[in-house]
Amino acid sequence: MADAVFLALTVITIGSAIAALELRSLIYGSIALMGTLGGIAGFFFLLDAPFVALFQLAVYVGSIAVLILFTVMLVKRELIFNKIEDKRRKFAGIGLMMVVMVGLGAVFLDSGIKTITTDEPAVDFRDIGTDFVTYYWPALILMGLILAGSVTGALVLAKREDVENDQRTN
Amino acid sequence: MSAIAPKFKLSEFIKSLLDNAFWAVLLASLIGLPIIQIVLFYIEMPVIDGELLTPFLALTWLADPTRSLPILKAFMATDMFRVMAFPGFGFAALIAAGTIFIERKMLAKLQLRVGPFYCGKIEGILQLAGDGLKLISKEIIIPAKADKPIFWAAPVIFVATAAAFVALIPVAPGWVVADIDLGLLGVFAVIGFFPIITILSAWSANSKFPFIGGIRALFQMVSFEIPLILSLLGVVILTGTLNLSEIAASQSSFPWIVFLPVGAIVFFITMLAELERIPFDLPEAESEIVAGWLTEFSGMMYGLVQLGTYLKLYAFAGLFVVLFLGGWNGPMVVPPFPEELLVGVELGPLTVGPFPGLPLFDQEMLNGTLWFVLKTVGVIFFILLPRGVFPRIRIDMLLSLGWTKLIGLAFVNIFIALGLLYAGVLGPGGLQ
Repeated sequence: MADAVFLALTVITIGSAIAALELRSLIYGSIALMGTLGGIAGFFFLLDAPFVALFQLAVYVGSIAVLILFTVMLVKRELIFNKIEDKRRKFAGIGLMMVVMVGLGAVFLDSGIKTITTDEPAVDFRDIGTDFVTYYWPALILMGLILAGSVTGALVLAKREDVENDQRTN
Repeated sequence: MSAIAPKFKLSEFIKSLLDNAFWAVLLASLIGLPIIQIVLFYIEMPVIDGELLTPFLALTWLADPTRSLPILKAFMATDMFRVMAFPGFGFAALIAAGTIFIERKMLAKLQLRVGPFYCGKIEGILQLAGDGLKLISKEIIIPAKADKPIFWAAPVIFVATAAAFVALIPVAPGWVVADIDLGLLGVFAVIGFFPIITILSAWSANSKFPFIGGIRALFQMVSFEIPLILSLLGVVILTGTLNLSEIAASQSSFPWIVFLPVGAIVFFITMLAELERIPFDLPEAESEIVAGWLTEFSGMMYGLVQLGTYLKLYAFAGLFVVLFLGGWNGPMVVPPFPEELLVGVELGPLTVGPFPGLPLFDQEMLNGTLWFVLKTVGVIFFILLPRGVFPRIRIDMLLSLGWTKLIGLAFVNIFIALGLLYAGVLGPGGLQ
């Protein structure tokens, strides 16, 4: 069962990644990108990490992909891209990527990743939280400061005082 | 002789009826029965009262109706029942249908109109069925330059996503479709899909009004997701779990709205925005952009989007109940089952009961469902109410509300929760 799901997820992830690069339609390309990100979330589910998987879905599929879609929709494709149809370059690109991926896969398989035992219990997300507030507290504080800074920046940017509101009647 | 069918003959009519009956019986016995037998052969049958449920036993309920109760009860323990009927799709669709009718009738009363009146004699009670029939029978028109695959898929995916949201809501103790450990994160992940579907369907229609509506929906949903997630963190901090069933069970003595009213208010406002309800119905603003991102949908596609919208409304109301109003918790009002139902009593010469398979639900579950439904209906009422009262607000007001005021209030709520936790009022060592 897990093997079949793994294979299916692999096909979805790699297939939609290729589609995201190769499709002429930008919208379909970004939908395919969503498929890739969702497939990666599926891998996290398979790895007994539902916490990371759900965040992958919520952040990458739910927000980043929406951002890309939104940007793409406001673009007039004809103004930016010149169409250069070249079948040979296309297949050469796919082939090169396959070679790189097969090479990387061979390296991974050779590195002894097969000997890792996989029947250990899943890590509870509470343990991740405990680790964050004990061992990794400097990283947590740094992240908190960066996020607080960005949220404050976003609020300042959103609150524009210089715009005269001539629609409001008061 | 009628004018509609001038060559009408009763004998011909009866003959055609008999013809149809003959073919129905023939096809059922030659194709239908073998298919049923084959299906029964392959699916795994439950064990009832110590004996395996064979097709023969399953059909004995025709002779003895009491036999059907254990079969029904075994069916109700399956995942299929949970997904399709009780805490899942069927139950939610029922509440959604009720919501649509109540909304129209209540709005009419608020605005001194009558509302649906003629369909079905009593206060237009059959209006909804009539609308459904009309939607099903209408032609589905696809705009000529629409992107057809996305346009066709969007309503279906919308309903599916709403049903996935419904599946996460616990209705009674143990009665939830997907009781996952990270239920609340699952809710956040599912909510994140709605803007994608909206903007894709709006773009694929290749029309101006849907696109404007879709962009508005995208702005609104994405910007209100942040205060929505932040406003729920207070509850998570105090309960120490993300499982929605555990969060509901943790409120047996008091609901969290008592301690986190700020979070509840912020969540309610963001809920209105996520549901595109008045005063935040900019994506559908019917007086400006026809029907917003729904403009090009027709027939049952529109019906599906409406179904999805109201399923989402039920799911959000249920989430509010589970997180802030105590979920299924409430005083026990369901009376205990009569003796003869459970153990059987002797009444003179007769022995009444116990009936096999009864009771179908236990008392706790009935009570939990009752309280959950009561609270959910109350929340839905408060979601509907602004529609009769408020006008629509401008998009810049909406965005400044979401980005400045609500996020600030959500942080205030988190600090209240942290203060209660560190002061030892709640959480480990505190109340409960």
